[in-house]
Amino acid sequence: MTTIKELWENALVELELTISKPNFNTWFKDTHIVRVEDGVVFLGVPSQFARDWLSTKFHKDILRSLRGLSENVRNVEYVISRNAKKVNEEVRVVPATVSELPLESIHSKTNLNPRFTFNTLIVGAFNELAHAAAQAVVRKPGIAYNPLLIYGPTGLGKTHLIQSIGNHFRINAPDRKVQYCTSEKFSMDYVSSLQSGKVQSFKEKYRQYDLLIMDDVQFLAKMEKTKEEFFHLFNYLHDGNKQLVFTSDQHPNIIQNLEDRLKSRFNAGMIISVTPPDRESRFAIVRSKAALHNVIIPDEVLEYLADTIEGNVRELEGALNLLLIQLEMRQEPITVSDAKVLLRGTGNATKKSVSIQEVVKTIANFYGIEEGSIYEKTRRKEIVRPRQVIMFLLREDFKISFPTIGEKLGGRDHTTVIHSCEKIKNDITSDSILNQELNQIRLMLK
Amino acid sequence: MKFETNTEHLFTAVSTAARFAEKRANLPVLASILIVAEGGRLVLRSTNLECGVEIQVAAKISEDGIVAIPASVLLGFLSNARGKTLTCSLEGEVCRFETERAQASIKTIPNDDFPVLPRVSAERSFTCKGADLAKAIHNVAYCASLSAIKPELQSVLLYGESGKIIAVATDSFRLAEKAIPLRSGGDIQQLLIPARNAAELMRILDAASGEVELYYNDNQLSTHIDSIYYTSRLIDGAFPNYRQILPKSFSTEVVVLREDFAAALKSLQIFADKFSHISLSIKPAEKALLLTSRNPEVGEQVSTIRATIAGEELTMSFNGRYLADSLQAITGESIRICINGAGKPIIIKNTADESFLYLVMPMNR
Repeated sequence: MTTIKELWENALVELELTISKPNFNTWFKDTHIVRVEDGVVFLGVPSQFARDWLSTKFHKDILRSLRGLSENVRNVEYVISRNAKKVNEEVRVVPATVSELPLESIHSKTNLNPRFTFNTLIVGAFNELAHAAAQAVVRKPGIAYNPLLIYGPTGLGKTHLIQSIGNHFRINAPDRKVQYCTSEKFSMDYVSSLQSGKVQSFKEKYRQYDLLIMDDVQFLAKMEKTKEEFFHLFNYLHDGNKQLVFTSDQHPNIIQNLEDRLKSRFNAGMIISVTPPDRESRFAIVRSKAALHNVIIPDEVLEYLADTIEGNVRELEGALNLLLIQLEMRQEPITVSDAKVLLRGTGNATKKSVSIQEVVKTIANFYGIEEGSIYEKTRRKEIVRPRQVIMFLLREDFKISFPTIGEKLGGRDHTTVIHSCEKIKNDITSDSILNQELNQIRLMLK
Repeated sequence: MKFETNTEHLFTAVSTAARFAEKRANLPVLASILIVAEGGRLVLRSTNLECGVEIQVAAKISEDGIVAIPASVLLGFLSNARGKTLTCSLEGEVCRFETERAQASIKTIPNDDFPVLPRVSAERSFTCKGADLAKAIHNVAYCASLSAIKPELQSVLLYGESGKIIAVATDSFRLAEKAIPLRSGGDIQQLLIPARNAAELMRILDAASGEVELYYNDNQLSTHIDSIYYTSRLIDGAFPNYRQILPKSFSTEVVVLREDFAAALKSLQIFADKFSHISLSIKPAEKALLLTSRNPEVGEQVSTIRATIAGEELTMSFNGRYLADSLQAITGESIRICINGAGKPIIIKNTADESFLYLVMPMNR
């Protein structure tokens, strides 16, 4: 069965042959089928001019070609609908120094922030896979990579990426319904619909979308009823070939309390991680952000920024803002030594010292075992692995000596510690789940 | 087709209609004026599919007919044609215009493709003084955005409330609002007229005397003014809720003579940089307003204006053009500048007239 979009495209091809080119370009530009009801095709046209003219002059031609393509068509009605023209994304030449009236805001229908587009996204090695997948989704929604799940730690542009998909859709395929929401908003909606007894309208609301983008799905794991509703919604949309896009802060397989049926559904699509940006990407990011503010900061200062602030893009932005405000106040260029003074106290300059007890506690919690059992002389498998992880992290991340680690963890020999560290180091290369867990724990320890 | 008419009248009508003809349209016939002689009436029609006009001209018609003639050619001929009466006759594909002292044969364009103008039923309408509405559009239209990214900002908003019609336009850097009395029509929904069409409406209204009635539906706005029927597309969109950002109270108020302010801005423009950057210093102690502009390549200038000031000392930066724009809508002797501190928008008003308001955002430097 052809969709109404294809129906109209085919009809246009036919009409183009029978009508002169100027006429075709003038009157059939920006037309689309709004809906089909009982054999009546409702044709959306941009203005009353077009409506009056199409209905008097071309009605017969339109009806004939539509009938030729679909026997069910009985009549054509013309409605004036907002012609969501392809807005050409010209760069606005605006003096950056004039502040704007706060008119621009979140797009109310789709909940998307228009600031997040592919144009403003910086692609580097750290996110190029995710970016490529997003592009594929834009080209073949519902077919390529459905669902698409992007995961990774905070502040790496996951939200930017998925909102770009939505914004691209909103502009280029305005007849498709796009919705962006956080899992928290979804759950709030669901709960309030339960309270007011409007579950049906809640279901209808979410089931109408052609593209659903949901941020931070890991939070769903804790909400039993919402999770169930989400599962049904997921099935409904996925069966209808509607595109689903999610983000999460970790791989779905290691999200606790997430049912297997949901995990396997996530796995059926595409799961891609974004990693912290490499130094070159960090440099590109600060440079483009600085350009956005229309200020000139010497490259060596930007390089210094990219060197010192590792990982999170948000922190990078914060550090840059710090420099910008300084620049504004002093009205003279910033040097590397200034930057050093200013950025003292941010980034890697201060590696937080964490007590060994705290590390043990966090990791024991993570694996769901008794904290005390780590210090005991037990060799139960479920204890040994976490203990080895603790040793490994204490050595790698906190640079504690092997003998000290052994002593603190229940008086073990330093060779035991060395063995444990080696073991984990080897396992990382082959065991991706272990790798995930380590990343997760490192985040918790920050 | 054959008719006889007054040259001067036809010229006036053609010069109005020619403004609506679109030279670069996909459809060649849109670059022409359609002349319809039917049932004893002579009507000129032209449209660019955004807006359109129909103008009736008094004429003696001896033979009915319809013809489309390129607007620029017809206008060019008539603007220089001498002679009181003009006769027009169609001979095959050529239309022949003849006065006592000039004659021209103009090639016609096939007119089958010339569109009909949308009609708007009289269900919803409002009336006001034509000159008032023209003035309201004139006072705000220059603020409309030039970029097509947001059609709702590229237009002039009209709406009616509590006996007034309010016209607003903004490009998100500044905003102008003008209220005029409404004669009848009550509450009017938000009508977004594309700024270009609004300018044409203004020129037609300028010539009108007395009251005009405008009809509208969700997509179209029309009016009959004397012998002219005008219609424009309305933009389907939501104008930003600008009332929210209008400050209610102010910390500083400055009153200056309009002439002084205009002259200062004009000369400061010479020294302003490419952003037209002008800084405004309020000196309550000296009862003065200091305006400074500086361009490293030209030099700098400081103008001091005597002012009545209530409030604190303050310096702010603005785009000088935006400030100067406000003055084309303010005709009174003195203006009031209302300020709420650095970084906040300011409001410029006529001290004697509350119906106009101009809001401008500062530059952040």
